[in-house]
Amino acid sequence: MRRLLAALAVMFALASPAEAHKLKVFATVEDHAIRGYAFFIGGGRPDGSSWVAKDAAGAQITSGTTDAEGRFAFAVPAAVTSDVTVTVDTHEAHIASATIAAARFTDAVAEPAAPTTATTASPAPAQDHTRTEALVRAAVQKEVEPVLEHLEAMDSRLRYTDILSGIFLIIGLVGIGLWAREKRR
Amino acid sequence: MAHIPDGILSAPVLIGGGVIAAAGVGLGLRRLDDRLIPRAGILAAAIFVGSLISVPVGPSSVHLLLTGLMGIMLGVVTFPAVLVVLLLQTLLFGFGGLTTLGVNTVNIALPGVVFAALLGPAIRDAGNATKRAVLAGLVGALSVAGTGLLVAASLALSSSDYTPVASVLIATYVPLMIGEAFITAAIVGFLARVQPDALRPAAS
Repeated sequence: MRRLLAALAVMFALASPAEAHKLKVFATVEDHAIRGYAFFIGGGRPDGSSWVAKDAAGAQITSGTTDAEGRFAFAVPAAVTSDVTVTVDTHEAHIASATIAAARFTDAVAEPAAPTTATTASPAPAQDHTRTEALVRAAVQKEVEPVLEHLEAMDSRLRYTDILSGIFLIIGLVGIGLWAREKRR
Repeated sequence: MAHIPDGILSAPVLIGGGVIAAAGVGLGLRRLDDRLIPRAGILAAAIFVGSLISVPVGPSSVHLLLTGLMGIMLGVVTFPAVLVVLLLQTLLFGFGGLTTLGVNTVNIALPGVVFAALLGPAIRDAGNATKRAVLAGLVGALSVAGTGLLVAASLALSSSDYTPVASVLIATYVPLMIGEAFITAAIVGFLARVQPDALRPAAS
């Protein structure tokens, strides 16, 4: 028992301190599938936390647990046409969610289904067109993803100016308190 | 971990937390005197910065709360100090939320105030350093456990969707309890040697 406690204490001391403490979810769409991960701002991923995907009406689409990297992935059923919200819950009060707009996974389904008069005459160009579009979509997705991830991380980064303003606000409050007491005398 | 965000708790829990927090803050503000105002400010600033450093533990990440120490040094003044820290963290970093401010204040401040009130006299009168360190560590660890239980209770009372799982709570809170016990014991031991008066919230 003592050895266990010592090991825990060492782990606690060695664990690299991360800046901050809030759960966020990053999600992206690829080929009618939504995948992404949950992360703590500043560092760390929730390992083995449960996630659940719901449509706009609140009906559950699917659920699961995140892997060691905090990742989740699932295919969006064709029947789902509303926005999808993925919520990750670490089961100790860290809960975060991300919403993916319906347009990001439904337009890919709708377009190829659009009937064209040329289809019967020349099916090959139409197929080519669809394939090119899918390739472009995949390529853009691949290039844009790191940028989106970075934006999500930047969005909630701790800034030194904020930390300093917090400290100085507290100092200001102390000053106000002392001044108010002085005046009342 | 102790920052419950907006939109998760039910109205009765939010209102109940708000009422208790208001009572605690009111009591604390009455106790504020020239000795305690700077002390509360220093501790609030230290905890504001200290709780930004979080350590990944198990499936989550934890950060220091140091409410046991605050309870020993500030008594009920812990309530306004915690409120200020949480308000700033909400406004500046988006941790927690404005509607949950009351509940979060109670969850974090109340255990520290209660355990320090129970064990504080024994800590101040402790004859030797070992006994003092053990008692201070106990206050630190129990305060963290109390916060964990209150957070779990707030979530469980609100909705069964978000009820924390005991195994996860234990995995995240036990290491934090041990860490807090050591840190609280070290700081209290240091203050007892250097400035014993710092451990008395009430002027005597």
